[in-house]
Amino acid sequence: MRTAARPGPPISGRRRWAERVASLCVRVGGFAVVTGILGILAFLIAEVFPVLLASHVETEKQWSTTVTAPVLAVLTDEHRTHTATLAADGYLRIYRKGAEAPVMEEPIGDGRRIVSAKSVLGDTGFAVLAADGRIAWIPLEFSISFVEQTRVVQPEVSAPVWIATDQPAEDIEAFSVRHDATSTAAIFSTKDHHLAWIRISVEENMFTGEQAESVDRFDTQVSAAITEILIDREQRNVFAGATNGELFWWEVEGGALDQHATYRASEHAVTAMSMLIGDRSIVIGQADGSISVWFRVPQADGQIELQRIRDFPAHGSAIGLITPSERDRSFFALSNETMGLYYSTSSRTLWTGSPLLKGTTALSYAPKGDGVVFAGGGAVGLAHVENPHPEITLASLFGRVWYEDHAEPMWVWQSTGGTDEFEPKLGLTPLMLGTLKGTIYSLIIAIPLGILGALYTSQFVHPRMQSVIKPAVEIMASLPSVVLGFLAGLWLAPLLEKNFPMLVLMFLIHPPLILMSGWLWHALPKRFTARMVPGTELLLYGMIMAVGFALAFALAEPFEAQMFAGDFSRWLYESSGLRYDQRNAVVVGIAMGFAVIPIIFSIAEDAFSNVPKNLAAASLALGASRWETVVRVVLPTASAGIFSAIMIGLGRAVGETMIVLMATGNTPILDWSAFNGFRTLSANIAVEIPEAPHAGTLYRVLFISALLLFLLTFLINTVAEIVRQRLRQRFARL
Amino acid sequence: MTRRKLIGDSLTFLTAGALALDIIFVIAVIVLIAAKGLGHFWQKDLIELKLNDGRVYLGEIWNRESNPDAGTRVRLKVGNRDVSGTDFIWVDERQVEVQTIPVNAVLVERSEWGNFYGYPVAIRHGDRILAEGSAAVMRRFGSVHAEKSRQLQRIHEIEKDEIGDVNFQIEKLRLTLRRVELGGGDSAARAELESQLDAQQYRYDRLVTKLESLNAEFESERLVLETADGIERAIVLGHVIRLVQPNVLSAVDAIGLYASRIGEFLTAESRESNTEGGVFPAIFGTVMMVFIMSIVVVPFGVLAAIYLREYAKEGLAVRVVRIAVNNLAGVPSIVFGVFGLGFFVYLMGGSIDRLFYPESLPNPTFGTGGILWASLTLALLTVPVVIVATEEGLAAVPQAARQGSRALGATRFETLWRVVVPAAMPGILTGLILAMARAAGEVAPLMIVGMVKLAPTLPVDGNFPFVHLERKFMHLGFHIFDVGFQSPNVEAVKPMVFATALVLILVVLATNLIAILLRNRLRRKYAASAV
Repeated sequence: MRTAARPGPPISGRRRWAERVASLCVRVGGFAVVTGILGILAFLIAEVFPVLLASHVETEKQWSTTVTAPVLAVLTDEHRTHTATLAADGYLRIYRKGAEAPVMEEPIGDGRRIVSAKSVLGDTGFAVLAADGRIAWIPLEFSISFVEQTRVVQPEVSAPVWIATDQPAEDIEAFSVRHDATSTAAIFSTKDHHLAWIRISVEENMFTGEQAESVDRFDTQVSAAITEILIDREQRNVFAGATNGELFWWEVEGGALDQHATYRASEHAVTAMSMLIGDRSIVIGQADGSISVWFRVPQADGQIELQRIRDFPAHGSAIGLITPSERDRSFFALSNETMGLYYSTSSRTLWTGSPLLKGTTALSYAPKGDGVVFAGGGAVGLAHVENPHPEITLASLFGRVWYEDHAEPMWVWQSTGGTDEFEPKLGLTPLMLGTLKGTIYSLIIAIPLGILGALYTSQFVHPRMQSVIKPAVEIMASLPSVVLGFLAGLWLAPLLEKNFPMLVLMFLIHPPLILMSGWLWHALPKRFTARMVPGTELLLYGMIMAVGFALAFALAEPFEAQMFAGDFSRWLYESSGLRYDQRNAVVVGIAMGFAVIPIIFSIAEDAFSNVPKNLAAASLALGASRWETVVRVVLPTASAGIFSAIMIGLGRAVGETMIVLMATGNTPILDWSAFNGFRTLSANIAVEIPEAPHAGTLYRVLFISALLLFLLTFLINTVAEIVRQRLRQRFARL
Repeated sequence: MTRRKLIGDSLTFLTAGALALDIIFVIAVIVLIAAKGLGHFWQKDLIELKLNDGRVYLGEIWNRESNPDAGTRVRLKVGNRDVSGTDFIWVDERQVEVQTIPVNAVLVERSEWGNFYGYPVAIRHGDRILAEGSAAVMRRFGSVHAEKSRQLQRIHEIEKDEIGDVNFQIEKLRLTLRRVELGGGDSAARAELESQLDAQQYRYDRLVTKLESLNAEFESERLVLETADGIERAIVLGHVIRLVQPNVLSAVDAIGLYASRIGEFLTAESRESNTEGGVFPAIFGTVMMVFIMSIVVVPFGVLAAIYLREYAKEGLAVRVVRIAVNNLAGVPSIVFGVFGLGFFVYLMGGSIDRLFYPESLPNPTFGTGGILWASLTLALLTVPVVIVATEEGLAAVPQAARQGSRALGATRFETLWRVVVPAAMPGILTGLILAMARAAGEVAPLMIVGMVKLAPTLPVDGNFPFVHLERKFMHLGFHIFDVGFQSPNVEAVKPMVFATALVLILVVLATNLIAILLRNRLRRKYAASAV
């Protein structure tokens, strides 16, 4: 009701001014607060939004050089200021960005021509096949120093490691080199299907400092003409692709190349092949333009086999070059007409376009994953790559994803690993199911205790008892969850571990005991029971509960001996294969149930007490008993209120963080067993966000889970609130 | 009929059982925490156990555990971590030959290495023996210890206040210098700053020398003790916090000791990475955070409520907003934490750093968790509580009061300010106090936006501007989580955690209680005025 302004006593200018200012302040301020609060949602969405942004590849600079010999391989440094090229004329040239003339020009291998060259994942340098049939690793370094706060990049070429193949260069079809601190391994195949592995190891004597060089070489035959070949970082596995579309895998084992089965990609020749970071996934490009990712998968029989994991949209013509990122599992694939950027884990095609340079002969991802360098036909170019969150798609967040080293596609959350090469597994499904598990276990405890307790409080209890119950419930509601979590984790969990059968017994004993005492009460002569003021039965419960506890305590040992062979956790493991974790779902259920009970209780109690008294009175007057009135009249009328009580309790359980954090092991496993832990969305945020780099993918995924929690609880609460308001209107009409 | 009544009655009993279980739950939790938290400070007897294999242990009985196969075993807190490496030891009761309560046994609480249990031998000053024998040591200890306490206080003054002040000045000068450099400033200003820096550095060096001599003097007396199995140890007497002979304590002394330990717990800083000592910084941090939050949440919450109730046009929009605000209270607190991290810490804090503190980058000043961001996050979390309670309070003010005021010629704002808001005050206060109670117990969002395990300095000190809103702080709730779940020796810290939990519960319950009383008064008041 608003009173209209009527001409009253004259209002002075100052007062009118104050009135206007105040009104403006309240309107602006109030509106700002309300929108500000709702702005939380907007902000969460804004933080998640960049995940949806498309990737960009854009040429930064392209320039022509004076060299006509075809460039076989390129490299760039971390800051993309310099570009190194290796051309067929046998010269290594390093250009400053945009400069036509090189800042460094050095002959490799005494001026002989170079037949073939490539850059290698995880190392700066070129693998080279010289015209005299020797293979070399040419290490390159871009050292960075600061002069007057400006960065100076100094390229340096170290002494190459030469490996003699004893074959003419024109006979060598495919080759590969892998270099580390102590050894350099090379592999090559020849036209006559011959495969040779050569490793030069340098061992330094710890005392004398003398260096001893040893050379291993072993040879084998291949059944097909090899086109591409790769060595992994451990110099243990060799992968090759052939003209007939076959794939080979050898293991360097005990002085021999041990060949695994032959795999077939398709009948089309393998034209490009590369490892991805971590050296587990292999990307294969074929003559028909198809691109597929393969890795080794443990099979049911214990064997490990190379397996085709995922395919990317095919190009129209043969894939010529594939270059992987050194930061994540993205890679470029290039064919004559098309260039594409892909991400393995999420199966995402991040970007496609026409080649940045027509007739590209060499392509390499920049070390920081933020650019790509290319060369061909006398020109060199650098492009900027922006691909901030390639790991995420709806499918990779919520669906099964086939991760490296896993036997099958799975739901996994494992955001960080020990090394940079770790494949982040950002599946939210295990966390959502963990949330659901925690919620279900806590509601199993909270719904009966909350609703039955509220029913008794509103319908049966003596008014004097209300003064005990209400404060008790208020105290229950105000106990900080960190206290409950700590009690659950440090007190209840060890206690239950020792006495789990006792808990089972209590669940079994109490309800029948209570029902039985009800019956006994009824059977007792009226002159006893009549003395009891109705509604104070509650006081009896101290006694009944005590009897129940005592019974459970006394029977626990024989019960455990009888039912669980004397040791519950061993019995559990032997009979069902389940492990009993100390911090498990039962502990969380009890602790979180404790937190949810007062919420359910007070809303349900509210609904029960607001059922119009005349309904109950009418029922009683018609001869129904108290209980019948409650079950047939009060419960149905208040059912919507009970529903909203449960919903709001559910909302609380879904978002509860501290209890879950402290009372479970926080392992993100997918398991419904009551005897092990889980990790919820909320606990996951608390655990991971302090370590998540700002604006990184993990950070955004955690924002996605926060947004999910927000929307979920907001939805649940809104539904509950609307139901409650409807109910109130109905009561008002009754 | 009777059969139906019988079933009905039995089921009624079942509902009553559920209620009884709820109440028993609450009482059990409170009693458990109170008993464990308060019991921890009570001194138990020291017991010496001689085992049949010749081992001798002196300590407090911690708990017993019976196992049907292996008989009863006793966990003894034997302390002496510097001698034996562990605080606790399990003893099989069947192995115990003699159990005594030795009169001379002492418990030494010290600032390092935890408790020491043993027998006093002597007090030495260098090679000079000041007291020898148990009785003499106990007599002499008091006066020497009092002297040491004075010295310790002086050392703390120098360390905390004077050196702290110098460090603060040096840091400030260094940053000013950096800012001048960043701005390409002139060399005169730079030279001036550098000479000031040198002066402070000189002051610092002098203080350090002084501190060294004081420390040497402080550490000159040793308390020599013998463990139960005859190993002698000399402890720096100044490091002793308490020397107690638990087995000969009179009732009065025992109560005095109990009170003094509780006092220490509430007012001292923590030691040994939070596993011993007090929780004062955590209490202080909690209170200060709640205080800042209150300052923010009240004006905004009240403004929003007044807007919704008195100014906005009642309609679908307002109803939707009201439901939204209501439901915001049900959004998980961790979501607010995430928002606080993204919005306050990274967005606002990052911008403030770039604008006002470029000299300390890349070290963040406001661009990292701190007490201000924590308070603001909690304010956001609790503002719905204040809005709802204030709206309730405003709604309870009778229309007649408003109309009366307007009829007397007051403007709308004057009516609001002089009549409505004062009348709704209890509602506003109830909302505030409920918000405070919620904020005091909330931990999850704070873990992300500003709490730390151990804050070296309180957010308030003697250095300008006295209140340092960017600092990290300690919090009771986080203290429970951290000490209980991140300490290496969980068994030893459990009692501390129970005591901390008790403090937290008391704080939260007390604030809640005040809110409940206020609300009841409010209801009574309007129940009376409506007649």
